[in-house]
Amino acid sequence: MAKTNINLNMTSVENREYRLGTIIGWDGKASDLIKESAYDERSAKKHGGCASKGSGCKLCELSSPLNQETMCSNAIVQCQVGNLTDCALIDHSPIGCSGENSKFNLSMHNGLRRRGKPLQNTLNISTNLKEKDMVFGASEKLRQTILDAKERFNPKAIFIGMACATAIIGEDIDSIAEEMEPEVGVPIIPLHCEGFRSKHWSTGFDVAFHGVLRQIVERRPTKKQNDLINIVALWGSDYFSEMLAPLGLRVNYLLDTASFEEIRQASEAVATATFCDTLGGYMATALEESFGVPQIDAPQPYGIKGTDAWLRAIAKVVGKEKEAEEYIESEHKRIAPKLAELREFFKGKNGIVMTGSAYAHGLISVLSELGIGHDAALVFHHDPVYDGGGEHQDTLKELVETYGDIPHYTVSKTRAFQLPQLLKRAKTDFLLIRHPGLASVAGHLGFPTLTMGDEHIPVGYQGILRIGEMLKGVISRTKFNQVLKRNVKLPYSDWWLSQDDPFYLTHHPEALEDLPEPRNLKLGIGQKKVSESA
Amino acid sequence: MSESTIKRKKSNSISDPRYACAVGASHTVVGIKGAVPIANCSPGCQLKQTAFLTFENGFQGSIYAGAGNMPSANSTENDIVFGGIKTLDQLIKSTLKVFDGDLYVVLTGCVGGLIGDDVSTLVRNYRDLGYPIVSVDTAGFKGNNLFGHEEVVNAIVDQFVGDYKGERKKGLVNLWFETPYYNQNWRGDYQEIARILRGAGFEVNVLFGPENNGVVDWLRIPEAQFNLVISPWVGVRNAEHLEQKYGQPFLHIPEIPIGAEATAAFIRKVVEFAGIDKEQSEKFIKEENQIYYYYLEHFSEFFAEYWFGMPSEFAITADSAYTLAYTKFLVDQIGLIPRKAIISDDPPQKFRKGIEDAFHNISEGVDVEVEFEEDGYLIEKSIKEVKFSSGKPLILASSWEINIANEKNALLFEITPPSSETLIINRSFVGYKGALNLLEKIYSASVGGK
Repeated sequence: MAKTNINLNMTSVENREYRLGTIIGWDGKASDLIKESAYDERSAKKHGGCASKGSGCKLCELSSPLNQETMCSNAIVQCQVGNLTDCALIDHSPIGCSGENSKFNLSMHNGLRRRGKPLQNTLNISTNLKEKDMVFGASEKLRQTILDAKERFNPKAIFIGMACATAIIGEDIDSIAEEMEPEVGVPIIPLHCEGFRSKHWSTGFDVAFHGVLRQIVERRPTKKQNDLINIVALWGSDYFSEMLAPLGLRVNYLLDTASFEEIRQASEAVATATFCDTLGGYMATALEESFGVPQIDAPQPYGIKGTDAWLRAIAKVVGKEKEAEEYIESEHKRIAPKLAELREFFKGKNGIVMTGSAYAHGLISVLSELGIGHDAALVFHHDPVYDGGGEHQDTLKELVETYGDIPHYTVSKTRAFQLPQLLKRAKTDFLLIRHPGLASVAGHLGFPTLTMGDEHIPVGYQGILRIGEMLKGVISRTKFNQVLKRNVKLPYSDWWLSQDDPFYLTHHPEALEDLPEPRNLKLGIGQKKVSESA
Repeated sequence: MSESTIKRKKSNSISDPRYACAVGASHTVVGIKGAVPIANCSPGCQLKQTAFLTFENGFQGSIYAGAGNMPSANSTENDIVFGGIKTLDQLIKSTLKVFDGDLYVVLTGCVGGLIGDDVSTLVRNYRDLGYPIVSVDTAGFKGNNLFGHEEVVNAIVDQFVGDYKGERKKGLVNLWFETPYYNQNWRGDYQEIARILRGAGFEVNVLFGPENNGVVDWLRIPEAQFNLVISPWVGVRNAEHLEQKYGQPFLHIPEIPIGAEATAAFIRKVVEFAGIDKEQSEKFIKEENQIYYYYLEHFSEFFAEYWFGMPSEFAITADSAYTLAYTKFLVDQIGLIPRKAIISDDPPQKFRKGIEDAFHNISEGVDVEVEFEEDGYLIEKSIKEVKFSSGKPLILASSWEINIANEKNALLFEITPPSSETLIINRSFVGYKGALNLLEKIYSASVGGK
């Protein structure tokens, strides 16, 4: 690489919206978004080339006056470095910021079981800040909590996660980390992940990776492990080992459920790949730029074509082309009869995927392999380029070129209120969703959903069959959702439900100047509505 | 690092938290039918509260404008620098347009609190136009979700229910009881307590949960004869406020009744306070006793004859309300031996003595030394240190205690958030029916050989 895109000398990360041009609102044909994204130009810039001045530099974004419950970068950091087996995470915040830790503890338990590791709880601790700390500062409490973390968990490293409140009052976590490190004797890693900082939570992944890259990954590895490949992942089942064993590779999963040592050795690996370019791009690119571990420049391992290409790219790096071809051929043969059976079952069926962007592209590939139509898709953000910017990492283009255009391709960050419109205009029999908050609304509208709790299920050749089998059960649950639809009301007004454009409020800002007449039971004005229907 | 350099004083740190923060009181709003919370906070704030209070708490799920449907400002850097009022104004307008609500409650979190946005004036302007909308300051650094719950109740009373000059209706009682979503059986518990009060001759104004009729019930609050608070401390502040505002008296019963004896005593106390006719309540107690003991007699055979081992000792940790109620029932009515009771909801100091006294007098011949601790690390350490004497002990706690229960070969029974191995739809362990459900639940686990 001619140019370094990731600066590991800084403690903080440049937000995705500035670094990649990430947007959280867009609506149109997928093929148009590919054009507007100008991946090639952005990629050229990433590689130090001279891009022409074009429209590709700024992507039009639809904003929305109405937003809803969603995730933040701070939560992402908790679900990353908060899920290591021997490192502690301090939430430097009021206690509410630790509210999701119990859910990440459940994820941790599931992840440990899937990876065959002993069961343990997360090593979490909060500075538990109060009103007077907002006035007088919270640095003393942070110092105390660092000592508590050391005493409670004897961790190999201690992370400090910044929150909205501590960022606003100007807590200097960098200095405190540096000052305390000699006394505590393990790396203390400040993470600038306050929730308001970036418009999309995925910046939190980059912040977590940035911290481990700076202070845990071995800077000067004394050996190379030529049979070790980094897979940047979450808590998914270990399906990568069975796919990579034929190439003589062992998997080093990063970061969830990993130990300090597993992270440290990332620079000794032969290459880095991921199940999702949105998630893994930052880590893979920094490992390539600053540690000399190449990232795999290939389509993601979903669907037959993607998996073929992904395996071939890895095989090329490790010199196992022959083994890869044998494996690919035998896998094609192995899955063919079952795949034919599933395609027959799903004939005429349609599905909608609603997840983060690159992962959605992978899932849609799998649906396509199963012969399932996809008129529409919703992604929570769109990155016009990833950090790697590799020739074969333009996941949306890869998807559309392989499996056809998507007429209703929507970028919108967990805005459940748009689901009535999104589901009105596209054919679908079910939805594949990741992230909480949307599945229940789709359910009220009569559609069954599959929540992708184990994100590795769709990976590889077997992933196609796994998804197919699961979807049979999901489609069957339509009966439950029809019961719900017949009997339970969503909280949306008749006016909104009669609209067809999910971005109506954006396209018609004047609508907000024409508010409905007040309905106030106290004042006895307007129709009594909700209570009647309840 | 040498051990000696570590400071030993009690610190502020909390591991494995057992409550959410004030802005989680959005779930108090969700507990009122037809009410719509408007979260004036950062992205992430509400998802974290929802995760803790509904998902990791028996997977209760949400309803209407809760969880993913909840409008939220999702504050950005721009709002921090330039102020978030414009973003909030757009959010309120679009919520009024898109949602079908009978009441809107704007909850402001840490960000709005710290940057000093004048939210109350903005909201008052909408209220002046006739919209049923209130605002409440629920910055997470001000207190936990129970503090937030009381703040939300008072805000709705002051800004929506408003002044009242009419009569009070004898026999009509406002029920101030468990905290919606936080107390994981709240839906079923509200139904059972309302059933009992109705059976005793009261008209019950149910303000949260399945039997709440929406905001119409909130508008009836001032009409009630009195406020009944059933909780060691949560809600007392609201009852005091209502007393001041409407001259409405209140009865505070710290202990949620479980089992026929406690429930009969509870009914008599409330009837006595209200001064309503005792004939119906005594008739109801008699009928309920007959049913309760019909079942209990059957159960007694199992209890006497099952010879494969059952728990005789227990440790418990939860909020004040459940810790007191379950300990009382298990000690006083079943005869289990309490080895440890830890209250994790940080009750205000002025209530602690009363709570301790309730544990000292929990049953004849039994004195329980209750501990107050909110730090999960210390709670777990304290339970770990209990030397159970024999057999399989019972641990009533949260899913943070899964590993300890395994180590101690104990039966873990989740009763408080987080609870990730329990699914709760319609469940109650209080009153008459709930007591039998509780026995069923505990001893099913023990016959299952778990």
